[in-house]
Amino acid sequence: MGFHEQIDALIDDTQRSLALFGPELALCGTIILLLLCRLVIGDRLSSTLVAFAGTVVGLVAALFSWSQVAGTSQEAFTGMLVIDSFTIYFRIFLLAFAVLFVVFTWRSGIPDREDAADFYTLALGSLLGMCLMVAANHLLMVFMAFEMASVPSYVLAGILKGRRKSSEAALKFAVYGAGAAGIMLYGISLIAGVTGTVHLPSIGASLANTMAADPSSSVLWVLGLGGLMVMVGLAFKLSAVPFHFWAPDVFEGAAAEVGGFLSVASKAAAIALLVRVAIGFGFVQEASAWVDAEDQSVVQTTNGVDQTSIASASGETTSQIFIAARIQDGNSASGQNSQDVQTTGADHQQGTDQQDTDQQSGDQQGTDQQGADQQTELTQPDESQLSPEQQAAEAERLAEEARALGIAQRREAQEVANESLGPVRTYISYLVGFLAAITCTFGNMAAYGQSNIKRLLAYSTIAHAGYMMFAVAGAIPSIGTSTTLAQDHISALAVYVAVYLFMNFTAFAIIAFLRNQTGSEEISSYAGLIRTSPGLAVCFSLLLMSLIGLPPLAGFAAKLLVFSALADSGLWVLLIVGALNTVISLFYYLRVIKAMCLDVPEEGQQVAVFPIWKNIDGWFIFLLTLPVVVLGLFWGPLREWALAACSQLLS
Amino acid sequence: MDYLPTILGAAVLLPLISFVVIVLFGAAMRKAHVPTHYIATGAILGSFVLSFTAMCIWLSTHGIPEVHEHDAHGHGGHEEHAAGSHSAGADHLGESLAEGKLVEKGQDSQFIALTDDDHKEGGVGKDHASAAHGPDYVADDWYTISPPGIPKMSIGYHIDTLTIVMFVMVTFIASCIHFYAGGYMHEELHDVTDHEVTLSDGKHLRRPGRFHRFFQYLSLFCFSMLGLVIAGNVLMVFVFWELVGVCSYFLIGFYIERKSASTAANKAFIMNRVGDFGMLIGLAALWASFGTFSFGDVDGQPGLFSLIRPAENQHQMTTKDGLVQVGGASTEGESGDDTTDANASNPASFSYGLLIVAGLGIFCGCVGKSAQFPLQTWLPDAMEGPTPVSALVHSATMVAAGVYLVGRFYPVFTPEVLLIIAYVGGITLFMAATIAIVATDIKRVLAFSTVSQLGYMMLALGMGGWIAGLFHLITHAFFKSLLFMCSGSVIHACHTNEMPQMGGLRKKMPWTAYTMLVGCLAIAGAGIPFLIGFSGYYSKDAIIAQAISFTDANPSHKILFFVAAGGAAITAFYMFRLWFLTFSGKPRDQHVYDHAHESPKVMYVPLVVLAVLAVAVGWSIPWGTDADSGNHKELGVTALLETARPAGTADGAGTGVNFDVTYPAEAASHAEEIHVMATLVAFGTAMAGFLLAFVMYGLQRISAEDAAKQFAPVYGFFRNKWYFDELYHILFFKPTHFVSKLVAKFDRRAIDWVVNGTAKVARKVSDTGDAIIDKGLVDGLVNLTAGWIYSVANWFRNVQTGKLRQYVLFIVLGTVVLFVLIEYSSFLNAGH
Repeated sequence: MGFHEQIDALIDDTQRSLALFGPELALCGTIILLLLCRLVIGDRLSSTLVAFAGTVVGLVAALFSWSQVAGTSQEAFTGMLVIDSFTIYFRIFLLAFAVLFVVFTWRSGIPDREDAADFYTLALGSLLGMCLMVAANHLLMVFMAFEMASVPSYVLAGILKGRRKSSEAALKFAVYGAGAAGIMLYGISLIAGVTGTVHLPSIGASLANTMAADPSSSVLWVLGLGGLMVMVGLAFKLSAVPFHFWAPDVFEGAAAEVGGFLSVASKAAAIALLVRVAIGFGFVQEASAWVDAEDQSVVQTTNGVDQTSIASASGETTSQIFIAARIQDGNSASGQNSQDVQTTGADHQQGTDQQDTDQQSGDQQGTDQQGADQQTELTQPDESQLSPEQQAAEAERLAEEARALGIAQRREAQEVANESLGPVRTYISYLVGFLAAITCTFGNMAAYGQSNIKRLLAYSTIAHAGYMMFAVAGAIPSIGTSTTLAQDHISALAVYVAVYLFMNFTAFAIIAFLRNQTGSEEISSYAGLIRTSPGLAVCFSLLLMSLIGLPPLAGFAAKLLVFSALADSGLWVLLIVGALNTVISLFYYLRVIKAMCLDVPEEGQQVAVFPIWKNIDGWFIFLLTLPVVVLGLFWGPLREWALAACSQLLS
Repeated sequence: MDYLPTILGAAVLLPLISFVVIVLFGAAMRKAHVPTHYIATGAILGSFVLSFTAMCIWLSTHGIPEVHEHDAHGHGGHEEHAAGSHSAGADHLGESLAEGKLVEKGQDSQFIALTDDDHKEGGVGKDHASAAHGPDYVADDWYTISPPGIPKMSIGYHIDTLTIVMFVMVTFIASCIHFYAGGYMHEELHDVTDHEVTLSDGKHLRRPGRFHRFFQYLSLFCFSMLGLVIAGNVLMVFVFWELVGVCSYFLIGFYIERKSASTAANKAFIMNRVGDFGMLIGLAALWASFGTFSFGDVDGQPGLFSLIRPAENQHQMTTKDGLVQVGGASTEGESGDDTTDANASNPASFSYGLLIVAGLGIFCGCVGKSAQFPLQTWLPDAMEGPTPVSALVHSATMVAAGVYLVGRFYPVFTPEVLLIIAYVGGITLFMAATIAIVATDIKRVLAFSTVSQLGYMMLALGMGGWIAGLFHLITHAFFKSLLFMCSGSVIHACHTNEMPQMGGLRKKMPWTAYTMLVGCLAIAGAGIPFLIGFSGYYSKDAIIAQAISFTDANPSHKILFFVAAGGAAITAFYMFRLWFLTFSGKPRDQHVYDHAHESPKVMYVPLVVLAVLAVAVGWSIPWGTDADSGNHKELGVTALLETARPAGTADGAGTGVNFDVTYPAEAASHAEEIHVMATLVAFGTAMAGFLLAFVMYGLQRISAEDAAKQFAPVYGFFRNKWYFDELYHILFFKPTHFVSKLVAKFDRRAIDWVVNGTAKVARKVSDTGDAIIDKGLVDGLVNLTAGWIYSVANWFRNVQTGKLRQYVLFIVLGTVVLFVLIEYSSFLNAGH
C-alpha cells in the first residue's frame, strides 16, 4: 500500500470516526468555548450557562448516537476506540451526570464567578477523559484516557483555594495518581512486550495462542504481573483497597461537589474500563481468527471491519497472501505511532460488510488484518508481482476458499480459542474478586467510626466500588459458559452504576446544600433535621437506605442483580462476603438516619432549614431521589436497556 | 355499521371527559362563577345524540324489526356480522352443519326453510328461527389488557338492540335530569347553610357550595353506567358495576356532613359489596369453566354465550368438556345431531351445578344492586341523596342495572336459577309494595315503589319473560324518573319530605301535579283495555300475561301469579295515595302551603318531556309490512328488544333438572286467551287499587287513621319495613359487635398479657444477657475488633499522613503482595 493510499485511508477513517465522536466533540467544543469566553467576553457570559449548554448538547448527541450505532460495534480512529452500545450507554450516563453536575454546582455555588470557567474546564476535561476510558480499545488509549481523566481531577480536588486540607488532598491525590499511573504504564509495556500487541481484542487472540501452545508457559507469569499492574491503575481509579489511601483524604479535603464527581463519574468510567480490559484479555472476539498454534502466527481481524475502508482496493495491494503476519507493537517497530497498516487478502473484503469478509483460510491465510497502532510485518510477501488478471483470479480463489471455510468454522475456532483462555479468566476473576472482597470489607468497616459525613461517604464509595467489582468478577468466568450469561452479568453492573449515580450523587448534593447552610459536614450537625426540613430528611434517608440496598429502593434492585450474577457464576465466597458487608453497612448508614430523625440538636446548634418544595434546590433533590424509589419498583426498563448496552460486548 | 362502536364509544367517553374537566377545573370555575353544569349537560346531551344516531344507524342497516306471530324474528343483515355467533360457532361444526351455514350465508329464506326442516325432524316445537340462530350483535375488543398466554382480558363492546335501547334510555333520562338538576341544585352555587347539620356550637354548618362536585359525580356516573351497558365482557361489567356503585356512594353521601347521609352511603356501599361478593364467585366460576370473559364471539373465539349455548346444539344449554366435570359422560359427542333433546346438558355432571352456582352468583350481584330481597334495605335510605340522584341513579338506571344484567346473562341462567330469581322478585315486589302503602316520606314511597317494580322485573325475567322484564325496565325508567323529579319539585317547593304536611298543592304547582298524575297513571298501568294505554299498561300486561302463561305450565307456582296481580293493585293504591295526599284536599300545613311555589321552568320542562314519554314509550308504531316475508314491521321497544333476545331462549328457558319447573316460550303469552285475561286482571287490579286510594284519600270517605288503627299490628309491621333493619341489626350487627367485643377483650386480656409478659421476660433476659454476654463478651469482642480496626486504620493513617514516599511505597508493596497472592491462588486453583 502506497503512502498516498495510507493517507487517504487514514483521512477516510478519521472522517468516519469523527461522526461517531459527537458527544466528545461537544465536550471539546464546550471546553474551548469556556476558555475563549473567559478570554474574550469575560464575566458577561456565565460559564455555568456555557457548560450547561455544552453538556446538554453532548447528552443529546450521546442519546442520538444510541440509535445511530444500534446493532453495530465499530472501531474508531484506527482501532483506538470502540463505539458500541456499551460505550454509548456509559457515554449517556456520563453526560447525563455532567448535566446534573453543572446544575448542581450552579445551585451549590462552589465555583465562584472567578473560578467557574476553570472549574468547568477541568470537570469537562476530566469527563472527556472518562468518555474515552469507556471507549478505549487499546492499551495506550487506556492509559491516555486514564490520565486525561485523572489530571484535571487532581486540580479539582484542590479547587477550594486557601484551604489547607484541600491543597493537601490535591497533592496526595496527584502523587498517588502518578504512582499508580506509573505502575499501570509499566504493566502495559509488559503486556505489549509479551503479547506483541496492545490492541485489546488482539491481546485476547494472542493470549489464546500462547495459552494453547503452552498452558504453563513462564511467559504467563509476566503476563499476570502485567495484568495486575494494569489493574493497579484501575484500582486506584476505583479506590479499591489497598490502593484507596487517597480516597478518604481527598473526599474530606475536597468540596462535596468534587467528591460527588469523583465518586460517581470517575468510578463509573473506571469500572467500564475494567470491563473492557478484562474482556480484552479474557475473550476472543468472534470475528477474530485464530490460527493453530503450530503456525506460530496470529492472524486476526477484529469485528470493527469497517476499518477495511482503510484497506484500499486490493488491486493496489501487490501481495495478497501472507502466510504469516506477525503483529508487533507499533511503537517498538517503527514509530509510526498511530498508523494503521492494512493488508487485505482479497478485494471482496472492502466495504463495510463486516462478518462475511473477515476470514482466512487454513494455511494460506487471506487476511484482513487491522489493528490500531499495529504494524503488520509482512514476513513472506511472495509473488509480489502479478498481473492484474492473475491478481483478480487469485483474489477470487481466495474469497471462495474463505467463504468455504464458513462462519461455523470460525465460530468453532473462536470457541476453541476462548476455551484455552479459561485460566486467564480465572486469573482475572480471582484478582478482581479478591480486590473486591477486601475493598468491600475494608470500606464498610472503616466507615463505621467516621464522624464526618464526607469521610463516611468516601468509605461508602470504596465499599460500593467493591460491589461493582463483584459484578465483574462474576461476569468474567461465565464467559466460558455462555457469552449471553456473561453479558447478562455485566448488565447487572451497568444497572448498578446507573442506580449508583442517583444514590450517591444526590447524597453528595444534599451534603453540599446543607454545608452551604450550616457550614458543617459533621454527622452530628444533622440532628433534628427531620423537624426543620422533613422532606429533605426523608429524601436523604431514602438515599441512604438505597445505598444499604433495602427493598423496595433502587439500591436493592442493583444489589440483587449483582449478587445473582455472583450466584450464577458459583462464586459463593464472594456472595457471602457481599451479603455480610451489606449487613455491616446497615449500621453506619442508619447512624446518619438516626442522627437526622432521632437525635435532638444541642443547645445553640444551627439546624439547616431546607424546604423541599419551595426552591430549585429542593426540587433538584426531590427529582433525583425519585428515580431511587421508582427504579426500585420498576427496574425492568433500565435492566432491558442495560442488557441492550451489553449485548455487543461479547460477540 | 362500522361506525357503531365508535359512536357508542364516544357516547361513553363524553361524560368521562366532562368528569375530568370538572375535576380539574371545577373549583376554579366555581370561583369564576361559571356554571359547571353546562359542561356535564352538554356532554350527556352529546351522548344522547350519539346514542340516538346509533339507534338510527342500527335501524337503517337492520331494518325495522318485524313482528311474527309464530315465526322467525329479525334476521335482517346478519351477513354483515362477521362476529355473529353462528359464523364463529360454525368453526366447530360438523360437515353437515357447515353446509347449513353456507346456505345461511347465502339466503335468508333458504336458511329458514332449512331450520324448519330441522324442527320437523326434531319434533320439538321450535317454531322460532331465532332458536337456531342468535341475535344480531357487534362485538369486538378495543384494547386487550392481558399479555398473551393467559385467558384474555380486554376492554371491548357488545352491541345489540338491548345495548342500544339502554343507551338511548339512559342518556335521554340523564339529559333530562341534568337539566332539572341545574335548577334543583342551584343553592349549591353559593355558600350553603345546611340546616340539618348542627355543629357543636349550636350553629348550622356553613360550607362552600358543591355545585361542580355534584355534576362531576353525575358525569362519572353516566360514564360508568354507559360503560356498564356497552361492556363486551364480564370483567368490564364488573369494573363498571363497581364504578356505578362508587358513584352511587358519592352521590348518596353528597351531604356528607349529615350523619344520616353518610350512614346511608355506607350502608348502600356495604350492602352492595355483599352482593358483589356473590357476583365475584359467579364470575370466577364462569372464568374457571370457560376461560373467557367475552359475552359474544370475538375474533372467532367463542364467547360465553356460544360456549354455554353452542350453535351445534340449537343454542340449547350445554355443558361441555371444558367445564369441571365430576363423573358423567361428555355431551360433546351427542350434541351434534341429537337436537331433539333440549337439555343436551348432562345433569349428573358437576358442571351443571357449576352453572347454577355461576348463575346464582351473578344474580347475587344483581340482588345487591337492584335492592332485591334480602338486600333491599339500602335503597330507601339512599334517598338521603339529592333528588335528581334518586331519579337517575336510584330509580331509572343504576338499580335497573341489576335487571339489565340478569337480562344480559340470560343465556347463562339455568331454569333453577330463573325460578329463584322469580321468587326473589316476587317476595321483593310484595314486601316493598306493602311498605310503600304506609310510608309518609314522599321519596321513600317512591323508593319502595322502585324496589317493588324492580321486583316485578325480576319476577318477569324469572318466569321466562325476557321481553316483559326488560320492557318494564325501560318504561319504568321513564315514569319513575318522572315521579322522582316531580317529588323533587315538591320537596324543592315545600322543603319537607313528609306528605302529612302537604296537601292541596295542585293549585300551587299545577305542572308538577299533572305531570305527576301522568306518572302515577303510567306506573299503575292505566289504559283503555285492548285499545291504548300508558306505557306501564303494556309492560305490566306483558308481565301478568307471562305470569299466567308460566303458572299455567307450572301450577305449583301459582303463587307467583297472585303476587304479580296483587302487586299491581297495591301499586295503584300507594301511587294514588301519594298523589292525593300531596296534591288534593286541603293544605294540612298552612306554613308549608304558603311557601310552596311552582318550580322554575328548567325543572318542569323536563317533567313535561318525560311525562310525554312516560305515556308513549310503550307504544309500538306499525311500520308497514315486509315485502319478502309478509310480516308486520313495528317500531317500538318490544320489537327492538325482540331482536336482541338471547339465542335459544325464545322457546323458553327449558326444564329444570333439580326443580320441577318448565318454561314455556315467551311467545306463548301472546296467545289470545292469555292476553285477554292478563289485560283484564291488570286493569281490574289497578282499578281496584285506584278506587280504594280515591275513596280513602281523594274523597276521604274511609279514614286512613282508622284503618291504621284497625290493622295496627300489620300497619306497624309495614311501617317498620317488615323489621328488616332490626332483623339485620340483631342478625349481623349485634353478633359482629359481640364477637368483636370478645375479640377486643381477648386481645386486651390474653394477647396483651402474653405480649407484655413476653416483653417483660425478654427484657429481663436481655438485661441479664446484656450484663453478661453483651457487655462482657460481645462488647469485648467488638471493642477488640473495633480497636483492632482502629489501630490498623490508624496505622494506615500514620503511614499516609504527609509522607509521600511511604505513600507511594505502598502502591508498590500492594502490587507485589497482590501478585504473590493472586498468582499462586489462581494458578494453583486452575491446576497449573
